[in-house]
Amino acid sequence: MPQRRGPSVRSTRGLDWFVFFLADVQTGFGPFVAVYLTTEKWTQVEIGLILSVSGLTSLLGQVPGGALVDWARSERLVAGLAVGMIGVSALVYAVWPIFPVVLCAVLLHASSSCVLGPAIAAISLGLVGRSMISRRLGRNARFASIGAGVAAAVMGTFGYLLSSRAVFLVTVALAIPTILALACIRADDINADRAHGAIPRTDGKSPSTSSIAVLASNRPLLEFALVVMLFQFANAAMLPLVGSFMTTQSASWAPALIAACMIVPQIVVAAMSPWVGQRAQSWGRRPLLLIAMGALVIRGMLFAFVRDPHLLVVIQVLDGVSAAVLSVLIPLIVVDVTYGSGHFNLAQGFVGTATGLGASISMFFAGYLSDRFGNEIAFLSLTASAATAFALVWLIMPETRPRIADAQE
Amino acid sequence: MSVCRVSGVRTVEQLPITASSVFAFLRSERAGRAKRSDVGLILAAVLLVTLPQVVPAADNPKPESPPAAPEPTVTVIDGGAVRGILGRTVQGADGKDMGRVVDIMVDPAGLIRAAIIDFGGFLGVGSRKIAVSWNALHFARAVKNRDDIKLEATRDQLKAAPEYREGNPVVVIGSTGALEPLDFPLATTPEK
Repeated sequence: MPQRRGPSVRSTRGLDWFVFFLADVQTGFGPFVAVYLTTEKWTQVEIGLILSVSGLTSLLGQVPGGALVDWARSERLVAGLAVGMIGVSALVYAVWPIFPVVLCAVLLHASSSCVLGPAIAAISLGLVGRSMISRRLGRNARFASIGAGVAAAVMGTFGYLLSSRAVFLVTVALAIPTILALACIRADDINADRAHGAIPRTDGKSPSTSSIAVLASNRPLLEFALVVMLFQFANAAMLPLVGSFMTTQSASWAPALIAACMIVPQIVVAAMSPWVGQRAQSWGRRPLLLIAMGALVIRGMLFAFVRDPHLLVVIQVLDGVSAAVLSVLIPLIVVDVTYGSGHFNLAQGFVGTATGLGASISMFFAGYLSDRFGNEIAFLSLTASAATAFALVWLIMPETRPRIADAQE
Repeated sequence: MSVCRVSGVRTVEQLPITASSVFAFLRSERAGRAKRSDVGLILAAVLLVTLPQVVPAADNPKPESPPAAPEPTVTVIDGGAVRGILGRTVQGADGKDMGRVVDIMVDPAGLIRAAIIDFGGFLGVGSRKIAVSWNALHFARAVKNRDDIKLEATRDQLKAAPEYREGNPVVVIGSTGALEPLDFPLATTPEK
C-alpha cells in the first residue's frame, strides 16, 4: 500500500483559481459573439453558420477531447494549451473579424472547450484521488459558478461601457491568470493514472487499461448518459422560453429580469455545491439525483402556469438546485462507473455528448412546440421528459457510491 | 419616401436614388473604404462633369427604372451624408435601447418596407427579431453624428410583435405601435 498523502495546499489553491478563471475565459464571450459580429456588419446567415459550426464542434468534439485527455500524460499541458488556444481565438475575433478567420477561431475555441471539461475533472481526480473527489468536485462547482458570475458581470460592463470588441480583449487578458493558476498546480501532485481513472500502480509498469469496448458495454454509464440527456432535453430550453415570454410581457423590465433568471441559479450553485459534494458521500448519489430531477419537474410545471415575472425569477432557485447537483454528480458518477478502466475522460466526453445532444434537440423541439401550441404545451412536454428522467433514476439507476473499502483504493 | 433623411445636405445625382441602390451602396461601404485614395480622384473628375446637375436632396424620389444608358453611371454622395446601418443600435421613443438593425426588407419595386431589429433580451436570451416599419425609423442623427437610429415606438409597444421568420407573413410595427401585416406579393405599388 503506497503512502497516501494529500495534495499540497499550493496545488489545491491553484486548482481553485484555475477553475475560477477558466469559467471566465470559457463562458465569458460566448453570448457576445452574435452581437459583436452584428456590429461588424455580418449578416444573420453568416452569424447563424458560425454558431452552428460552434455548436456542432462542441458536440462532436467531446469524445475525441476526452480520449485526448486520457491519452495525454500531462493534463496540465493539455489544459494549458487549450486555454492558450481560447485566448488566441478571442484575440482573432477582436482584431480580424472576417469569415474564414472567424471560422477557424470558432473551431479552435469549441474544440478547446471540449478538452477543458474533462481536463479539470482529470486534474481534480489526479490530485485528490477517489476518496476525496466528491468534495473536490463540490468545490470546483462553487468556484466555476462564482467565476461564471463574475465573468458575466465584468464582460457585461465592458461590453456596455466600451464595445463588444472589448469583451474579447478582456478574455485574452483573463487567459493569463488562468494559465498562471494552472502553473501553480504542481505536476507531481497529480497522479496521471488516477487522473484517467486507472488504478495507480507502484511497480512502475503502465496500468492495465480495459478496452473501449468494455466502456461501451458499461450499463450504468449508458443509463446515466440517458438520464442526463433526458434532463438536458427538459432543461436547456426552459430559460430561453421564459426569456422570450418575458420580452413579450414587460419589454422594459425584461432584460433585468432575464439577467436575474441567470444570476439566481449561479448563486444557488455557489452556495450549495460543496454541500452536495459532502452529501454525495454520506447519502449516496441516488437521493441527490432524484432531488435534481424532481426540482426540474416542479420547475417545468410552475413555468407552465405561473405568469408573474417576479415569481418566475424565484422559480429559478430550482434551476440552481438541479445545476448544483448535476455539476457535482455528472463527473462523480462517471468516476464511479469507470473507475479502474483508465478511460474516465473518454467516458466524460461520452456523457458530455449526451448532454449536448439533449440540449440542442431541446431548443429545436421546444421552439417548435411553443410556436405551434403555445408555451404551456411546450413546458409540459419538457416536464414530461424531466419526469421520465426522474423515473429512470428511481427505477433502474443503481447507487454508484463505492463501498468504504473500495474508496480507499 | 426619403431614403436617408438628410434635408439640406446637397447630393450629386445623375439618376434618382432608388432605395435599393442606396442600400447596395451602404452595404459596399466597407469595401469602398479600403480604396478611398483612388476613389478620391474619380470623385473629383465626376464632380466636374456633373456639377450642373447638383441638386438638393430630393425629398421623395419615385423609384423608376433607370433609362438604358450605354455607360455605367456613377453617383457620388458626400461621405457624411450617408452611412451604413447594419448592426447599428436603435433607440426607442423613450430613449431606451431597442436592439440592432440586422436586416432590411424590400418589396419587388425595391422600396424598403421594414427593418428587422434584434429586440430585447439579455446576453442573447429572450431576444427575437421583429420587423419595424421603415417609416417609423429616423436616421438624421444616426447619419450625421453616428448616434443611434431613432424609432417612433417604445419597448412596450413592440413587446407583442411576433418574431420575424423567413417565409412567414411579416408583421411590421408602424410608428403608432400598431401591427400592420406586410403582404409582399401584392406590394407592387409604393405604400401611402
